[in-house]
Amino acid sequence: MKNEIFDVLIIGSGHSGGMAAKILTEKGIRCLMLNAGPVADVSRDAERKPASELPYRGFKPPGRLQHVFQCNEFNANVWVDEQEVPYTFEPAHPYNWVRVRLFGGRSLFWSRQSFRLSDYEFKARSRDGFGEDWPISHADLAPYYSRVEEIFQVTGALDGPPQMPDGNFILDNAPWSASMQRFISAAKPWNMPVCKQRRASGRDGLASSVNLLLPDAEKTGNLTSIADAVVREITVDKNTGRPNGCHFVDRITRREMAVKARVVVLAAGTLESTRLLLNSKLANSSGVMGHYLMDQIYGAGVVCSVPEARGGKSKGIMGGGAIVPRFRNITANHDKFLRGYAFNVSSSTGAVDPRNFAAYGAELQRNLDEYHGSGFHMTVMGEVLGRYENHVRIDSNKVDAWGIPVLHVETKYTENEFNMAKDAVEVGSAVAEAAGFEVLSKNPEPNPPGYSIHEVGTCRMGDDPKRSVLNKWCQSHDHKNLFVVDGACFASAGWQNPTMTISAISMRAAEYLAREMNRQNL
Amino acid sequence: MLRRDFVRAVISAGLAPKPLLAQEAGNPAPSLPAPVPWTLGLNPKTPLPVTEAADVVAETEVRFFTQLQISTLNRLADLLVPPIGGKPGALQAQTPLFLDFLIGNSPEPRRKLYTLGLDWLDSESRKKYSTPFSAIDDASAGALLKPWLRTWMSDHPPTEPHAGFINIAHNDIRNATVNSRAWSDVPTVGAEESTAIGLYWSPIEPEPAGLSAERSPVPAHVRAAPKSGESFPIYPR
Repeated sequence: MKNEIFDVLIIGSGHSGGMAAKILTEKGIRCLMLNAGPVADVSRDAERKPASELPYRGFKPPGRLQHVFQCNEFNANVWVDEQEVPYTFEPAHPYNWVRVRLFGGRSLFWSRQSFRLSDYEFKARSRDGFGEDWPISHADLAPYYSRVEEIFQVTGALDGPPQMPDGNFILDNAPWSASMQRFISAAKPWNMPVCKQRRASGRDGLASSVNLLLPDAEKTGNLTSIADAVVREITVDKNTGRPNGCHFVDRITRREMAVKARVVVLAAGTLESTRLLLNSKLANSSGVMGHYLMDQIYGAGVVCSVPEARGGKSKGIMGGGAIVPRFRNITANHDKFLRGYAFNVSSSTGAVDPRNFAAYGAELQRNLDEYHGSGFHMTVMGEVLGRYENHVRIDSNKVDAWGIPVLHVETKYTENEFNMAKDAVEVGSAVAEAAGFEVLSKNPEPNPPGYSIHEVGTCRMGDDPKRSVLNKWCQSHDHKNLFVVDGACFASAGWQNPTMTISAISMRAAEYLAREMNRQNL
Repeated sequence: MLRRDFVRAVISAGLAPKPLLAQEAGNPAPSLPAPVPWTLGLNPKTPLPVTEAADVVAETEVRFFTQLQISTLNRLADLLVPPIGGKPGALQAQTPLFLDFLIGNSPEPRRKLYTLGLDWLDSESRKKYSTPFSAIDDASAGALLKPWLRTWMSDHPPTEPHAGFINIAHNDIRNATVNSRAWSDVPTVGAEESTAIGLYWSPIEPEPAGLSAERSPVPAHVRAAPKSGESFPIYPR
């Protein structure tokens, strides 16, 4: 086994790597999966505790993970340590790179929001002239979306407008609460479609690669996996110039090792896949690798209270949530920005955050008592445009804990994104007021780029090898046995959470790869 | 080798010190200390001693804030999060001492936010009332604080210097108090905030193959003394 040449080497074990492994192994292809971190065993590594039993009372351990806003004392040990795997950026333009290297990657921890991209995203350039169209359309990906939705057990309603295609859902027929009905009515003048949320239920409460994808692959007997394998570089056959495996270093022992494979599939997460290719000096004849880094603006939003629900009267009025898909630049052009944003809407029966009151002491407590169960929240997710200047490159002056050169991230939001956030908060506030809600607080400032954990692009797909890194099958234009099946392949970001699209694209690419291998083309 | 050389070699080996032989042996078994091998005895049935969190029984020593700053923080904390209903206030939860520890270990911008903020608050009090902030009455303190109170959403505190300090400190004092042992020991009533409870992840490191908790035949540890509500473990003799 030691000198075995595997059919396919898969680097990364999250949704994209797990999907590739499932599809390929089920077709009889022998795969080796490498993951940079350990296996997390919740029964051994985690325990339910109150914050009062923790040294920092639940606060983020000071000085750690400064760019992971999602970090607190409960979860501080699941994120990639910024000292161990650093990255650089200009102080004026910080980037929040939020990473998980546990087996299963970020599929262990995600919001489960499950949307398809539409042709408003796939063919965006054809509509507004900006960026590039994808080389695929919704019709190309629709059959794969359906299968992914089945695997992930996505709940939702068939209520989507064209910019949010319907799918293969477990139907949500629950009635709207009164507060949601008022919101729906108030939103009509803005042509805002208010739809049921679409969320992956998964199995046994989890919708991860480790429980939905990898077990199927392991069942075939065709998957071998190695944990704690930090890949240093893709290796190349000296005679053919084609990738033929990789060097990796054991995370704990620092032992240097190598493996061989006929095909290499990168699924390490958008920026890690790109970092690995840049460090390996592969697949970049176009010169666009690392460029067109995108994500979505998060952090802007509006918090309201439904007056009729106060004083313990929330029953029947409050509850439920909705997604308002992009409604700007659909039927009419907005003069301040291209593309658009979505609202996540939730009607809460729980406590209202104390930060929503400019009060303290007994007065604050009276407000918290009175407003309990009346909170109505709108948060924004807006498309970030793909710009050449927003990019990553190797920082040759800094290495990680294993001596691997790190990434330098150079990206910033532009007026398009800031205007979008401003518009979202203005519209959200106006709709709330029209619905008779009291606006408690609002914020038009997006969090730093990266915060959404939806980084995509940097190895975009396209038909033109001079303007893209990958073809429509996620296959390198330069090396036909090299594939990148994670979010790096995106040609535009959309407003949608990318997991369903990443999974569907990985499934499609893996089926293509299997066909090509069976035809002896690879 | 001549026979006499062989015999000499055997005799020399017999006389050589034991450590020297051990080095030559390649991979010898470790010597066992008497009377019981030290690695044996501890096993999953070994009762675990019951320990208490240090700050439940000990007082944190102030190491970061000056005496004046901690006096100002005590007054601020008591004002912003006083005891209400059955719940303790920030002082009963030892929140200022906890913040001395937390902020003292934080990056410089957060340390500065607090030290400059506390100094500013005290100087404002002395300027307006000729009294240190730690000694002013509630109404006077309120007159200093209220102009700076803002509503805000998470990750986006006010950016004006004084408003930033007042609102961030308020949020920290409140969270530290709600997540204190003193607060969690008192049952929550109505809309009172509850101490956060979550899945705490220990540092995740690999384990020897085949020994995951799921696959392990080893039963879970028992406590030497049970928490109330748990039955006392029986130790077969």
